[in-house]
Amino acid sequence: MFRQLRARFGGPLAMAIVTLLGIWLIVMVTLPQLQMIEYSLRPNLLPAQIGGPDDRLTLANYATLFNNDIHRTIFFKTIWSSVLVTLLTLAVSYPLAWYLAKVATPRQAALCILLLIIPFWINEILRTYSWFIILAFRGPLNEVLMMLGLIDRPIRFLSGNGGVMVGMVYAYILFMVFPVYNAIESLDDNQVRAARDLGAGTVRTHRRIVIPHAKPGIATGCIMTFMLAAGSYAVPALLGSPGSRWFTQIIYNWFFEGGNWNQGAAYAFLLLVLCIGFMSLIMKVFKVGLGDIGK
Amino acid sequence: MSSQRFLAFGLRFYVVIFFIYLFLPLIIMAAATFNDSRFPTVTPWDGTTLRWFGELAADRGMWQALANSLIVATGVLVVAVPIGIATALFLNTVTSRAKPFLYALILSPLLTPGVIIGISTLIFWRQFGVSGGIFLTVLGQATFIAAYVMLMVTARLQRFDRTMERAALDLGASQWQMFRRILLPYLKPALYSAAVIAFLQSFENYNTTLFVVGYDTTLTVYIASKVRTGLTPAVNALGLILILVTVLFAAIYELKRRREAARAVQGV
Amino acid sequence: MDGSVRLDEVVMRFGDFTAIEKTSLAIGSGEFFSFLGPSGCGKTTLLNIVSGFLVPSEGQVYIGDEPMAGVPVNRRPTAMIFQNLALFPLMTVFENIEFGLEVRGVDKRKRREVSERLLALVALEGSGPKMVTELSGGQKQRVAIARALAVEPRVLLLDEPLSALDLKLRQHMRTELKAIQRKTGITFIYITHDQGEALNMSDRVAVMSAGRIQQVADPMTLYRQPATGFVAAFVGENNRLQARVIDCEGERVRLDGGALGELAGRASGSARLSNGEAAVLFVRPEHLRPVEPQASGPKLEGEIEAVHFEGAWVMLETRLVASGEKLRVQLGHELSRSQANTLSVGQRLVFGFDPADAVVLPDDGSPVVDEETGEVVEGRPAAAGGAHV
Repeated sequence: MFRQLRARFGGPLAMAIVTLLGIWLIVMVTLPQLQMIEYSLRPNLLPAQIGGPDDRLTLANYATLFNNDIHRTIFFKTIWSSVLVTLLTLAVSYPLAWYLAKVATPRQAALCILLLIIPFWINEILRTYSWFIILAFRGPLNEVLMMLGLIDRPIRFLSGNGGVMVGMVYAYILFMVFPVYNAIESLDDNQVRAARDLGAGTVRTHRRIVIPHAKPGIATGCIMTFMLAAGSYAVPALLGSPGSRWFTQIIYNWFFEGGNWNQGAAYAFLLLVLCIGFMSLIMKVFKVGLGDIGK
Repeated sequence: MSSQRFLAFGLRFYVVIFFIYLFLPLIIMAAATFNDSRFPTVTPWDGTTLRWFGELAADRGMWQALANSLIVATGVLVVAVPIGIATALFLNTVTSRAKPFLYALILSPLLTPGVIIGISTLIFWRQFGVSGGIFLTVLGQATFIAAYVMLMVTARLQRFDRTMERAALDLGASQWQMFRRILLPYLKPALYSAAVIAFLQSFENYNTTLFVVGYDTTLTVYIASKVRTGLTPAVNALGLILILVTVLFAAIYELKRRREAARAVQGV
Repeated sequence: MDGSVRLDEVVMRFGDFTAIEKTSLAIGSGEFFSFLGPSGCGKTTLLNIVSGFLVPSEGQVYIGDEPMAGVPVNRRPTAMIFQNLALFPLMTVFENIEFGLEVRGVDKRKRREVSERLLALVALEGSGPKMVTELSGGQKQRVAIARALAVEPRVLLLDEPLSALDLKLRQHMRTELKAIQRKTGITFIYITHDQGEALNMSDRVAVMSAGRIQQVADPMTLYRQPATGFVAAFVGENNRLQARVIDCEGERVRLDGGALGELAGRASGSARLSNGEAAVLFVRPEHLRPVEPQASGPKLEGEIEAVHFEGAWVMLETRLVASGEKLRVQLGHELSRSQANTLSVGQRLVFGFDPADAVVLPDDGSPVVDEETGEVVEGRPAAAGGAHV
């Protein structure tokens, strides 16, 4: 491999390329991950105890999760809520993706895409914050609902998972719309027309023709959304309440309030495994490969 | 069939609602900036004021956080862009059976949750006595931003006609001269886009930054902490300014991109 | 300036595949030399070996009597015109032409002098400041030539440079290239699959097939005295008839054409023909003319299958009555007007030819280009290796 680089770029430049690539992949990507896993397998020791009899590999940190009721609950709640967020985002995005790909004229579609992209150039924090304002106890949503007479007293949207999930759907919707849009776009218009022509209704057309074709895009969107949701910190931090903590918040606490990095590393690794697991599951169920996940 | 028509109408209605849903929160947040109410909201409206801008300008913490964000973003540019270019060149040049594996490794930071990148970076550097701060923030962010740079450079690199390299060598250029005078100028548009994207990604990053920032703050971390403690519409003021700057940026970037795309059709 | 090129037992292998069989060749300084052959014959590979882009598996390359082993592309006294030109799109015409000088550290004023002079040579004065993307195909072609000439190469390598141009432009460029070559005295090595080009422009041509040089000679010799069956069939049009040698007398060969009766021709190539040996008789369409059935000399009766009127001549596609093989006949002014008017499909005519115009070669199984598909068909293994000069 180095020979090919040297043939094209000459010795010094080839060395520079390999060095930069090496630093990145080894020092920044691989070693830290390996170290994190190693940390997760060691107990939290005082500096004095390092190298001593207690310093051995152990799965104790992982056991903690399953023994601790609260943490275990939160872990599974995070998974479940992330799945819900993914499904919700998919449901909300699909009609829009369909519209953009097949219904809108090219100019309308271009305009819509531009309008879609602009909010996403804006900070995730700010976008989440804007929902904070809307959902606030004394905020506009409550005011409007009360004004319309639908409720008598303001609802605490910002306690419990509801607010967090709404915020997540809002934050990550673009990561679902685009892959699904791209996938639907490549569907031959005539297939839909053929289905209609043969008498299929809208639901059946989508179920039998569009969705199977859009599978790679849907898979990509689901993977990205789930991983963003499960690994999200900002949204639960801003829109959540102590009663609706997210798994990432527990991890954070282990590092910066509990001072137990080893424990935190174990939890973090579990999160990573969760994400990879979900990704593999989706890839298998939808029968897509890594190459299909193109942005 | 009237049910078809109903559905078609319903779809358009849905799209309109969708865009309202998309923009309304931002508009409300922007509007709340001007409301003379201690808690950021638009209901009730207590009078129009600009005082929150003043409060924002006077906030030393905010200026420090802004400065840090800019420093970190610059640092990320310096680290991630060369790495991204090098990786793109590597992938474009090398054929090997190990390539799919390497490619998966290269893309892995994009698929890893931000918090994990932050945590692993923090843990790794602890053994060298380096704790959270600007340096680690730059490294943590660059870990995945380099992958974005690589993708953008690769897209342009793949359209490069390698016969031109041979022509340059044939005319007597050394490999370095070929790189500097032929390949690099060709990549320039992609480099600019990549730099812009890298800068913005760094600026708005939260999940990774949170774990590696230590006692320093970046703007996003600052905003998040302000929301939870010490919330006033000054945050909205900051938000509004950032939105305007971002939209301006986005508009310029999009226009440039469309012009580049048009030129690509002509075969440059 | 010695621009001679010598290949000394050069072999090129890619894994198991041998692209160039052992080849030795000497090209004189200032010669316009072409490699002619169908796609895949190895001519581009040879060009890449001379220019330095490929290192031969065996053998040596000499330019101007200096060995080129270990000399990389950017230090050889060669310059190449690529098939797709490979002009630098982000640069102006001036910058393209001056590139080779720039990387050698020539100062700006001198560079500009050279590029102005070359622009005049290729008839593009005033186009210097333009971006190359603004130019037409023919203009780009000339910039590519100027760019290569700027580095004062001893050998100019041209890789099918005219293939992307339309007919009129191609013909115009042929003349221009020839004029430039004569004016500069640089050795031109030109590769093409278009024999019209090769024969038209070159001092000598090497006909190649499947990695082997079949023959190297000036165009006229190639046409009149092909050394192998491949050259006979590839260069120009030729009818191919199989026969057996009866006897030879000097150059004249008598053949038993089986059902076709007794045939005669002229021996070509270096191989001696022995009595009873299988041989091939090549007679070109323009050398056949209708004769009376009782006339003396070799005769072939054919039934007309198609008549193609080409203006100055008429091309007849006929099928030999005796053997069923195809025979193409080109008739021009030797046809009387009344004869021309009566040519029709189904008509049977007897054609004769002067044996001095027909070439006899041993049936050595050398590759042949299939008339209908244009593909190269390997015969039985070729006899002599391609070691000609």
